Amino acid sequence: MKKAAAVLLAPTARPFTIMAGAILVLALIDRGTGYLFSLGTVFSVMQLFATLGLVALGLGLSMLVREFDLSVAGIVGLAGCIAVMTGVANPWLGVLFGVAAGAASGLLQGLIMTRLQLSSVGVTLGGLLTLQGITYVLTGNKTVGYPNVAVALELNAPIAGLVSVRSACALAVFVFAALTMRYTHIGRDVIATGSDRRASRIAGLNTDRIIVAVFAASGACAALAGVLLGYGLGAASPVALADVLAPAAAAAIIGGVSVAGGSGSPMGIAAGVLTLCILRSGLSAIGVEPHVHDLVTGGILAVIAVLDAPDLTRRITAWRLDLTERWARAVAGSR
Amino acid sequence: MPVLAVERITKRFGTNEVLKDVSLALERAEVRAICGENGAGKSTLVKIITGVHRPDAGVVLIDGKPTEIADPQHAQAHGIAVVAQELSLPPALSVLDNIWLGNRAVPLFHRRRELRERARGALERVGLGDLSLDTPVLQLSIGGRQLVELARMLTRDARVFILDEPTATLSDIEIERIFAALRALKAEGKAIIYITHRLGEVFEACDTVSVLRNGELVGTRRTAEIDRAELMRMMLGRSMAEMYPDRDSKAGTPMLVVKNLWVPPLVANFNLSAPRGAVICLAGQVGSGAIEIVRALTGLACDATGEVSIAGKPLRLRSVAKAQACKLRFISEDRAGEGVFLRLSVGHNLVATRLPDHARFGILARRSLRVAAARLAAAVGLDRARLSSPADELSGGNQQKLAFGRAIGDAPGVLLMNEPTRGVDVGARADIYRLIRQFCAEGYCVVMASSDLEEVLGIADVVVTMYRGRRVATYRSGEADMQRVLSDITHQVAAA
Amino acid sequence: MSDIAVRARLGLAEVHGRRLVIAVRLVAGAAIAAFALSTPGFASPLSINALLTAISFIGCVAVGMTFITITGNIMSLSLGATVSASALIFLASLSFGVPGALALAILFGVSVSAAQGMVVGHLRAHPILVSIAALSLLMGGAALATGGQRIYPAGTGLHIFKGRVAGIPVEALYFFATVALGQFILSWTRIGRVMVMVGSNRRAATAAGLRAASAVTTAYVIAGACSALAGVLLAARYGSGDMELGAGYDYSAIAAVLVGGTSIQGGAGSVMRTLIGVLVIAIIEVVLLLRGFSQQLQYLITGIIVLAVIMLHTISYGR
Repeated sequence: MKKAAAVLLAPTARPFTIMAGAILVLALIDRGTGYLFSLGTVFSVMQLFATLGLVALGLGLSMLVREFDLSVAGIVGLAGCIAVMTGVANPWLGVLFGVAAGAASGLLQGLIMTRLQLSSVGVTLGGLLTLQGITYVLTGNKTVGYPNVAVALELNAPIAGLVSVRSACALAVFVFAALTMRYTHIGRDVIATGSDRRASRIAGLNTDRIIVAVFAASGACAALAGVLLGYGLGAASPVALADVLAPAAAAAIIGGVSVAGGSGSPMGIAAGVLTLCILRSGLSAIGVEPHVHDLVTGGILAVIAVLDAPDLTRRITAWRLDLTERWARAVAGSR
Repeated sequence: MPVLAVERITKRFGTNEVLKDVSLALERAEVRAICGENGAGKSTLVKIITGVHRPDAGVVLIDGKPTEIADPQHAQAHGIAVVAQELSLPPALSVLDNIWLGNRAVPLFHRRRELRERARGALERVGLGDLSLDTPVLQLSIGGRQLVELARMLTRDARVFILDEPTATLSDIEIERIFAALRALKAEGKAIIYITHRLGEVFEACDTVSVLRNGELVGTRRTAEIDRAELMRMMLGRSMAEMYPDRDSKAGTPMLVVKNLWVPPLVANFNLSAPRGAVICLAGQVGSGAIEIVRALTGLACDATGEVSIAGKPLRLRSVAKAQACKLRFISEDRAGEGVFLRLSVGHNLVATRLPDHARFGILARRSLRVAAARLAAAVGLDRARLSSPADELSGGNQQKLAFGRAIGDAPGVLLMNEPTRGVDVGARADIYRLIRQFCAEGYCVVMASSDLEEVLGIADVVVTMYRGRRVATYRSGEADMQRVLSDITHQVAAA
Repeated sequence: MSDIAVRARLGLAEVHGRRLVIAVRLVAGAAIAAFALSTPGFASPLSINALLTAISFIGCVAVGMTFITITGNIMSLSLGATVSASALIFLASLSFGVPGALALAILFGVSVSAAQGMVVGHLRAHPILVSIAALSLLMGGAALATGGQRIYPAGTGLHIFKGRVAGIPVEALYFFATVALGQFILSWTRIGRVMVMVGSNRRAATAAGLRAASAVTTAYVIAGACSALAGVLLAARYGSGDMELGAGYDYSAIAAVLVGGTSIQGGAGSVMRTLIGVLVIAIIEVVLLLRGFSQQLQYLITGIIVLAVIMLHTISYGR
């Protein structure tokens, strides 16, 4: 029993265990009415996945190298607006400009961080504010509509009832990321940099280049999320996803990415994102009110925060030993 | 044509001149030892050659051509491979990944059988042939990790191999394997730099030896042409007696009594009785348990158990605050990470543990704190003018003195130290040994863990040798000699 | 790359680095002051009062955030939600009278933050993660409790927290009192000094026998109290509230803290610096507004200035 628990809760398997747990809990609540396990639910889960997944992937990548990209929300907004504004005639142009803008912003922030040896929190905070500012200037503080309705429809059209072009894109990006991390030495280098940057540098890695590349990739992912969202909704607004940071971080962490760097994988992040999306769609499909979703997410995060806390085992061990000693003394004293 | 040479290298850290005008040249198939005490500049020289630091003056020459080595990747490109003193194995990776980490010759798709086989070959050469390549490095012991580092070095296609204190965590069998690997490299025409302060290894494995003292090159000799005493003289520049103050022969009553100390997973059933006014040295390498025992006594080990008493009163383990209340003071082996508040001022650092004595209802009496700081600085020989400078501006030696200053209590207690002169230059080391004797004279009981055997023999009243968590032997001052202590801590089973 | 190499690259000699930064700060401060005073309408009582009122709300939260940052816990993303929730509690408890409602609101803010502080302090859980969890729980809990409705005052007495005293907005007086108290705690009390040491090097603080966990918890308690106060002031100003009240406050607060010069690594900084940070950002925003810059450009320019100032501060601190 204990061994099974150890296997299921091992860092690589845990995200999938949590996801399975979420599905199980929903199935229990659903009690066979069938609302939950329908194609419609799967489709809406995947639609949510299309946006949240890419943002979580970007943020998760930055967490892998022990940094934290606060600017993902800003990139989502900016890329969406750029794509919607430049992609009217040719949608691919909008995609190109949007993703390029995201990659460029990540690149620039990465360079500032590594050349000047600054912490990512300060730089990405400033980056977030600047990106939001640029977005406001570009859009004139208004929502920009995307007249190319055909593209919007096509992006959201269900394929086999399960996915849309948007979510298929997101899945493809995840698969690409997973393959890169697994089969090329880039994956090993990223984990090494996050696990121990000093040691990696001495071993011969160019950790600066890795960090810049990771932030460029993170920017590109978030940008793609914004582009797809903008096209899909037929509109882009400067405040599109101001609150995306918390769910994205939650998804990455549930997905096994450690904030201390050095552990996590794209597939794990996908599982974490799916868990959150399943909870949201599933709960609303069953008819539970939306705030329960926040409470459940918060609860899961709190549990993970405590379980992953570095000093948890230390405190428990010390407390257990203190108890044993006190008991032993009491027994000895009563003799 | 020397394969690697340095000319007139100078390096400063702040106001501290760590290397002064150092020049040396290394030929093919030469095994050169570089010797010197703690703080002589050996590791800094290695870091300059491998691109971690840039020299303030002087050049590095490769095949006679002046070369600027901007970073470790450059060094690798020029054919230099290194095993540094601090391990550089990111713990999240497997053994296989760590072996090939940072190697420029690895292709993009790196999951290849050829690479696995070459890694296995390297592991065999260092004696880890049975280790699974996919083992996560964090599951290995310190000695195991050291061997993986050496395996990584062997897979580098290099012409110059540098090993910085490679045997500090290894047993004698493992050390012998390393020597065999080095002999093989030499036969292939590679040049090797071997940094150590174990003189026996110099004579056993090396052709030539360069001695650094206080940042300067004292000289280079062939090992066949000098003897151990001459080498010691070159290293110390004075006799050992001048470095270490005289011992006070009167030791007092037992002050610290340790019974049945267990510090999982390494230390089992350790006992010790340490009297007032004496220096007890736990001599051992990294991984011997010496450092862990000291940390457990301090209260930093959350799973230590045992019966410890200070002057008769029982000490609660697993709590630093309780240990401090029993007059236990601790000086950490990791000065930057655990000892000193680097960005805070020297004064703040000195009074860090005294705040309750200078506070009423929680409000600090700042002036009396400043007075106390000045008093403590004077007691350990720190310049009063530095009291408001940030602690990271001090040299390593002065930072260590700061740690001593903080450890001064109002009444004599137990002073626990780990590696007290690590990274400290020679001048400050003599000061620190004087400070230790001063503490003893005032009635403190000093227990220290050290892997520097010269230091242990010089300063200790009692030497306890440790290997893999167990006590090997105990020696009173005068009974111990270098040979026996070294063989104890590397577990050399004496010939019958 | 070593710290020295970085400075060499930037052309700043190590010895003069600190003096250079002080000089740059003075020049920048003078430039901002000149820019502000030369703006028509800036120095008018109306505009100054509006400025003071605006900074009071974010300022209180920023003071709380300062304590969290100084203890080495980077930032909290839950302070904004704490502001909103405390405001709602205050409004809903006004039937117990103003002192009772105030006490309940502050108690709420303190409890929510103390829980986070204990997890972060005793278990060393990751602070940002814990704050995200708290954020979700607060949003969900508030939606559950209010059913999504706006909350209106359940009693009277809000006027105590509005209006002017001797021409200065009352909110600003509360804010300045918070700054004074916060700075006093940080510089003059034992626990404040321990907080700085914990932020500078937590392992060293533990090894020295300092009670690091309590110091961190206390920092979070202070942050919770400050956020609750901001919530009360906001509730008084707007007369009603929902969870959007404190939205975005976390980012504004941490921006003010960083612009003021407190180090994101912890162990260095002060509440006075945060006051300066709050003032600088607010003055820039007001000046841009008065000079006719569109709201979009305001955001952009403020963002760029925040980024530049953070870069400047961190260069002087090293890594």
